Amino acid sequence: MNKNYILKTSIAVRCLAVFLMIVFSTNFSEALAQSKTISGTVSDNYGMTLPGVSVLIKGSTQGTVTDLEGKYVLTSDGDIGTLVFSYIGYTTQEVVLGNQNVLDITLEEDLLGLDEVVVVGYGVQQKKDITGATSSISKEDMNQGAITNPLQQISGRAAGVNITQIGSEPGSRPTVRIRGITSLIGGSDPLVVIDGVQGNLDLLNQVPPSEIESIDVLKDASATAIYGSRGAPGVIIVSTKRSKSGQATIEYTGSVSVDQIANELEVLDAEGWREQARIWNVPFSEDHGSDTDWYDILTQTGMTQNHTVALGGGSQNFNYRASVSAILQDGVVINSSNKNYIASISATQKAIDDRLTMTFTMNNSIRQNIGSPGGVGRAGFTSNLISNAYVSKPTDPVLFENGDYFFDPNVFQYINPYAVAETIINERESRSQFTTFRTDFEIIDGLKAGWFGSWRKVDVNSGYYAPAASTLAGAIDQQGIANVNTNLTDEKLMDISLAYDKDFGKHKINAIGVYEWQRQTYQGHFAQTKGFINDLTEYHALQLGSVSRYLPGDISSYKNDRTLVSFLGRVNYSFADKYILTASMRRDGSSVFGEEHKWGHFPSVSAAWRIGDEGFMQGQNLVSTLKLRAGYGITGNQQGLSPQQSLQLVGASGSTYFNGGLITNFQVTQNANQNLQWETRRQTNVGIDFGFAQDKINGTIDVYTATTDNLLFNYAVPQPPYPFGSIAANVGSLRNDGLELALNYHLLDNSDWSITLAGNVTFMRNEVERLSGTIGGVEVNTNYVGWGFNSYLIEGQPIGTFYILENDGKESGTNEELVVDRNGDGVIDQGNESPDRYIAGTALPTFTYAFTPTVKFKNFDLSMVWRGSGGNMIFNRIRRDFSLYESLGKSNMLVSAENLGLFTSQYASDLWLEKGDYVRFENLAIGYTFNTAKIRNISSMRLSVVGNNLALFTKYSGLDPELNLSGGNGSGLDAGIYPRTRSIAVGLHVSF
Amino acid sequence: MKNIITLSILALLTLGSCTDVGENVYDKYAAEDFYGSAEGSDAALASVYAQLPGNWGGVGYAGADNGWYDLNSMSSDEQVIPHRNTGDWQLDFARLYQREWLPNDGINSNAWNWLYRSVFLANLAIEQLELANAEQSKIAEARVLRAFFYYLLMDDYGNIPFFTENNLPADQIQQVSRPEVFAFIESELKANLEDLPTTKGGNYYGRFNKWAGYTLLAKLYLNAEVYTGTPKWQECLDAISVIEQGGFSLHTSANDSSLPLGSKYYELFGDVLPDDETILAIFTTVDVVGRNIFMIRSLGGTDGTLLAGAGAWNGSVVPQEYVEKFADNDIRKRQFRYGPDPSGPQPAGFIEYALELDNLDNPGADRNAGARNTKFWTALPANGGGSSNDFPIYRYADVLLMKAECLVRLGDAASAKPFIDQVRQRAGLSGLPSAPTLEQIYDERGFELTWEAHRRQDMIRFGTFTQERYLVPAVGDHFKLFPIPTSALNTNPNLTQNPGW
Repeated sequence: MNKNYILKTSIAVRCLAVFLMIVFSTNFSEALAQSKTISGTVSDNYGMTLPGVSVLIKGSTQGTVTDLEGKYVLTSDGDIGTLVFSYIGYTTQEVVLGNQNVLDITLEEDLLGLDEVVVVGYGVQQKKDITGATSSISKEDMNQGAITNPLQQISGRAAGVNITQIGSEPGSRPTVRIRGITSLIGGSDPLVVIDGVQGNLDLLNQVPPSEIESIDVLKDASATAIYGSRGAPGVIIVSTKRSKSGQATIEYTGSVSVDQIANELEVLDAEGWREQARIWNVPFSEDHGSDTDWYDILTQTGMTQNHTVALGGGSQNFNYRASVSAILQDGVVINSSNKNYIASISATQKAIDDRLTMTFTMNNSIRQNIGSPGGVGRAGFTSNLISNAYVSKPTDPVLFENGDYFFDPNVFQYINPYAVAETIINERESRSQFTTFRTDFEIIDGLKAGWFGSWRKVDVNSGYYAPAASTLAGAIDQQGIANVNTNLTDEKLMDISLAYDKDFGKHKINAIGVYEWQRQTYQGHFAQTKGFINDLTEYHALQLGSVSRYLPGDISSYKNDRTLVSFLGRVNYSFADKYILTASMRRDGSSVFGEEHKWGHFPSVSAAWRIGDEGFMQGQNLVSTLKLRAGYGITGNQQGLSPQQSLQLVGASGSTYFNGGLITNFQVTQNANQNLQWETRRQTNVGIDFGFAQDKINGTIDVYTATTDNLLFNYAVPQPPYPFGSIAANVGSLRNDGLELALNYHLLDNSDWSITLAGNVTFMRNEVERLSGTIGGVEVNTNYVGWGFNSYLIEGQPIGTFYILENDGKESGTNEELVVDRNGDGVIDQGNESPDRYIAGTALPTFTYAFTPTVKFKNFDLSMVWRGSGGNMIFNRIRRDFSLYESLGKSNMLVSAENLGLFTSQYASDLWLEKGDYVRFENLAIGYTFNTAKIRNISSMRLSVVGNNLALFTKYSGLDPELNLSGGNGSGLDAGIYPRTRSIAVGLHVSF
Repeated sequence: MKNIITLSILALLTLGSCTDVGENVYDKYAAEDFYGSAEGSDAALASVYAQLPGNWGGVGYAGADNGWYDLNSMSSDEQVIPHRNTGDWQLDFARLYQREWLPNDGINSNAWNWLYRSVFLANLAIEQLELANAEQSKIAEARVLRAFFYYLLMDDYGNIPFFTENNLPADQIQQVSRPEVFAFIESELKANLEDLPTTKGGNYYGRFNKWAGYTLLAKLYLNAEVYTGTPKWQECLDAISVIEQGGFSLHTSANDSSLPLGSKYYELFGDVLPDDETILAIFTTVDVVGRNIFMIRSLGGTDGTLLAGAGAWNGSVVPQEYVEKFADNDIRKRQFRYGPDPSGPQPAGFIEYALELDNLDNPGADRNAGARNTKFWTALPANGGGSSNDFPIYRYADVLLMKAECLVRLGDAASAKPFIDQVRQRAGLSGLPSAPTLEQIYDERGFELTWEAHRRQDMIRFGTFTQERYLVPAVGDHFKLFPIPTSALNTNPNLTQNPGW
């Protein structure tokens, strides 16, 4: 029931201190003559007794501690006066004693939990000492249910952290953006740090969701600057569970969920198609006489299972924890599944009077994915497999009478999606492992030296086979295509640190200096053959392919790497626990930049003032907490820039015919830019933490503005003289502003009931300030860069601004779409910068919000997540592609097309642009915690039922408005998604 | 305490290896090392030739789509891809035929970017060959190649940015007038043609030998009036007289029932082009070096499976007016496929194409409307992405017709007659009854060179390019030049757009 989560080392230290003090003082008190005795029971507001509560006579060292039943007995020789009851995670209570001999006390939980610690870069800090903008989510507050990726656990839980899940494809992970889009070239994904191991979002696949103790999100520059080069887009710090000393446990956590398609598009059935075909004079020969529901044939009820067994234990100097997990998903589209197995073990040993601590972790995960093929379809419409169900006419049969997959040769590049789903082999196995080793040694009191090393390897092997029977044009042409692909990632990190942590009366200093070295190496190879006499060997015997079909590009390999070297320091100084200052400096060198530009400096400074603790704030009951924070910092981005772009290199570009024979065609690979340098992000953050009425109402408000300068991007350069149309360079700038508000209201809190209303709102806007500037001393002009379908990067506008033609009805008679000729020149220019276009909104949401109430009644608990976003537009390309009757002969159509009655259109106008606002009832969890006090061998047990994606409120006409909102190319486009599921999960947690 | 931290950081700083962030390259060559070697300078020359085969992405001279070939062929009267009333084909191609293109159009910028990338690679090759003290013939070859690309640029765009050194900053690249570019090409060719080898075929198949070089010079002079206002018919004849020393002759058109179209004439468009007539070819093997999509793009879907071994695209067709000009007994008319009794094989289930093309945009043409072209009858290997037919850039029949044209233009029509008659007779036709007129030469060029990417240039020289044509009205004179692509104008403020755009 301890609502607060407190991190291992500090809790241990604090407990130890309290324990020693109490042991010492009780011994001391026993030596004295008795004169007054007081006793009682300490319990929490649910009536549960609290063992280990410190009971102290105020102004003395005399005291005791409650026993296992929460009882205490205290004897004093004189007048006791005031008793102080304190317990970690609960509000300390002082009681003035009268004449009574018995005093029972109920301790209130410390709701705001100012004693919580926050995991910051390279260390932990107490929450009250934090000066930057961070969000902490402990395991009690995480979303439940059919969780396959840790990000799903914090969706909606932190302001300014926007987590987007596109469809429910097994193994697909959500995208996450912290405070908007930091970069255009890549590198807007936050850094993930799991127990010290740094990596990209894929690293999260290596943590079993149930083994996560807490997730801390560092949002502003003063918090992330310590991660310098990789911290610009924010940092997600995951801390996994550790066993507690003296406690041996075995835990099982599991859930099974049934997943169903939440929403389907309404397409014509066979009768509807025939009716429209008569109206639009489609030749009778196009009707193949069947009545097929393609979507139904290609989908099924999915299932997600999640099982984790964890064991752990420890003594005073040693603890360990090990877990094995399986996350098994069978998708709602046939033949798509993902299985993730994770095994992890960690052990910590202390030695030399506890001054030496060594922690060793090993983690191994195997992911097996059977992917529903993507990028299939005919030239005019390429999408994922399931979206090709809209293409297939309901009048086309699935099979010919002889049992072969139906195929219509009159249609250019006809595909039968059922044949694709059934015959294509598309398998991938990822093997990831990491090992970390940490050593800390306390040299003198407060001064610690540390060494940390991590080595992570990810091997991804995939195999693909497309037989001619798949009906894919390429596979028919080549009589079967088989390939194997291996990608190897190797990430090494080593740091040496020196940390100093000491209190001098009212002065508290916490300082750290770190040297860090990282290398990431990427390697891989690919082999492909074609032309098989049968399909028996799939991709397992490439040598059986026809040698005559070998082509350049069928065999390839690559290797590149990046090296990062950093020196960093941070000082956290606090005076009287009221005035706190944090300053950090980092010097980073990265191999990916030009020879003269490899190093960058990234400073940050921030301060906090705990106004609530000032004398002038005492003696009032309204404001219980008030803390003002402000910070400024610069962070850098190099991770988005792929290696080698500063160098003029020669590679192979296919083959060519020369001197009477075929030779490799050597060509320069790119426009090299030796002036490539760090992209930097300056961020200012001001925030307030507040609490009213004993923190019954508490919250946080943050405002920020962040400007990315030296914006890395592939800028347009003139041809001539450049051989390629763009060059990676640092020219433009990008700004993100935002306001974040998080609020908690503890509506009710008593022994039976606890009701908390929590929520957060984020407003954000971004602007592409500038894309044009000088490259190599020459003015270049980059603007109106296509960034999706009709969405652009336009100077002075948000990322992904829709710049689009305006629909003007249709021409009667021909039923062709008309658009407005804005400049009135009689010509509709469809070019990027056409004056016939107009600005029609942005592809990225301008606000997001979440409402996460929890209710507890006795042993029942209930929590919900309602989540929404809006202010953005979506180009519904699926609707455009399936609303024009000219396609009726070769494709199915949406029922809604009838309202438009369009035969053809030359344009992709705003007719297909729709509002993207939505509210989703994302999660409802109901749990029951069994009273296990009477059950032998079981220390806790909880049963839960969780519904996911229970309702969606939106005016968007497509499958789901939660689309690509990554800010990258393609944002705001609906080109067909894997269906999103609605699921009901049953979960069990038992610990022994 | 901070001193200790500072000291330790300083100590680490002094450890050089701990601060090394140099870039490692494992899987490519550094440009300076590579081009400095002998293999490198040869590779630099080869990479310029690698620009010629057409491929995806709108690159290459001919063979694929969305590039220079489409820009120059579909803007003429010899082919068009109509929008179909089945919803197939966007209007980009039809708008070329209709002459409604805009500076922003992708095909236009693809052609421009391809040409300038070729110039860049030619500059690089010249620089590297000179540095490596390569044989003069190779340097000459690279210079002639560069002249060839500038000739194509000038032909399409008129006044163009001009650079012969790659390391020039972008803002120092000036736009040069068409006559100045003409003068540059002329002087480059004159200075280098004699250094080119005279070898035909073999190691020089697909390369600029002396004869290909002089054909380029002849082409330059043939169109000199268009480029500079001053005709150079005699200079053209002089260049042709050099080509004649190359020993070229017209390839036979003997019947051969083993060939799909029944005549050896079509070997000129097959896999390895015969070197009796071919002066400059583009080597093509589908997916290995370029591709040739001209037949698979033209045929209807099931016809592709029947005739070309893969589903076809139902794309480019030949306008009715163009087909109807051919005499029925012209061997060259066999390239067109339409009606119930088409030339070539007639497997069960073949499509009957209608010669008429009712509509180009809305509602679009019927699925089987429009005559198809099988001139580049699929040479293997082939698939849905094209075949392996080589492409003739220059051949001797073209030169003969150029010679006839120059003679007529110089007032000596009588002397011109045998040259045009040779070409006609090879096609199974009789010679002209009297001395040729310019119009007859223009028509003959159309018959002989259909879909070989000469049509736009010829139509401009003969003044027919902007006139009314099948299904579409006449347009203004500014269509004789393509507009400089918007993307090029935006990135280089020194450029002035062509008049009228």
